Amino acid sequence: MQKIPLLHAKAEMTLARDVFRGNLPVGFPLCGKGTKLTDDLIARFESMDVKTIYVEGHPVWEEGERSVADLLHDLDGRFSKTLQNPLNALLYDTYKAHLTKLMEATSDRQAK
Amino acid sequence: MTDKRSKLRRIIMDTRTLPTLPSVINKLNSLSDNEKSSIQEMAKIVSSDQVLSARILRLANSPSYGFYRVSTISNAMILLGVNVVKSLALSSSIFAIMEKDSIGLWEHSLAVGTVANLIARKLGLPECEEIATAGLLHDIGKVIISIKCSEAEKDIIRLVHEKRIYTMEAERETIDTDHAEVGGWLSKSWFLPDKLSEPIAFHHDVAGSVNHRIKTAVVHIADVLICAGGFGNSGETFVPPVQKIAWDTLKLNEQILAELVDETEDKLVEVKNFCLEMMGD
Repeated sequence: MQKIPLLHAKAEMTLARDVFRGNLPVGFPLCGKGTKLTDDLIARFESMDVKTIYVEGHPVWEEGERSVADLLHDLDGRFSKTLQNPLNALLYDTYKAHLTKLMEATSDRQAK
Repeated sequence: MTDKRSKLRRIIMDTRTLPTLPSVINKLNSLSDNEKSSIQEMAKIVSSDQVLSARILRLANSPSYGFYRVSTISNAMILLGVNVVKSLALSSSIFAIMEKDSIGLWEHSLAVGTVANLIARKLGLPECEEIATAGLLHDIGKVIISIKCSEAEKDIIRLVHEKRIYTMEAERETIDTDHAEVGGWLSKSWFLPDKLSEPIAFHHDVAGSVNHRIKTAVVHIADVLICAGGFGNSGETFVPPVQKIAWDTLKLNEQILAELVDETEDKLVEVKNFCLEMMGD
């Protein structure tokens, strides 16, 4: 899940949180989580003063943000002392799978 | 207890310079123990502290709680429950002490509290809010060491980097005690209930927790998850070992762990935004 400015929203992204008018969690949501964005929907959010939205995955890489390869490198460093503990090894594999999934999703998008 | 440690304990626990909890929390505790007291009475006590009231309303209105337009303390108490408000009151006092100190530790603590709550809900455990509060407070001993032994703290940080060891090992080498034990001492002096003091004192030694082992195990796992994800800065360079007793106590398995990691990462997006908002104030 990622919080992105509406300016970076693109059709085909999926909402990870309900969207409210003016970004205030008051009243009925304008659109429910799980909805796939379309250009029309993004234009409607703009007219209703929505500034940011939560979307699934990590579709927008902002300047200064670390790459998944850097994150994996840091993960190796943090686990370097405890990998011999089977439960830590399991946790390491789980985090690595999580980051790899993120990396695959990013490269798919870049390929598109 | 060794001479060095007992001397240190006296210095650390010198009440003249120890951070104190606002009297409103003690009054709230005694009122909530009394079955005859009403929500209005308790709300009146909280309302007497305007900073605390503002913090509680702000937290009650935050998206994490999902209630909208909570504008009075008594409404917050009815909607959230007295225990939640007590936890919020305690937490916001801790923030006030920690904010001056270290942003990284504050982020780490907030994340551990949030994820402890997530784990407790996922496992269907009772008293999720208390578990979240215990998670939030688990490293309070580090704050006290930083306040009371600022010179020793520099040595501890140096040792952690030079020898590539855990903070706890460096603390024991330098001051003959560690932040978990100091946190335990502090929670006793603040008269916190065992369900909070045990997870604080034993989050690195789950086997030592006798009466509230499940809560302690949740805080331990939440702490490890946050260190593994590299969120905030608890002062640790390495992920602590996952204790088998915690894993077994909570009956965790590979699938639950995978779900927890995904859900934790999602929650941390919200925690990060919350931290940025609070820092912006």
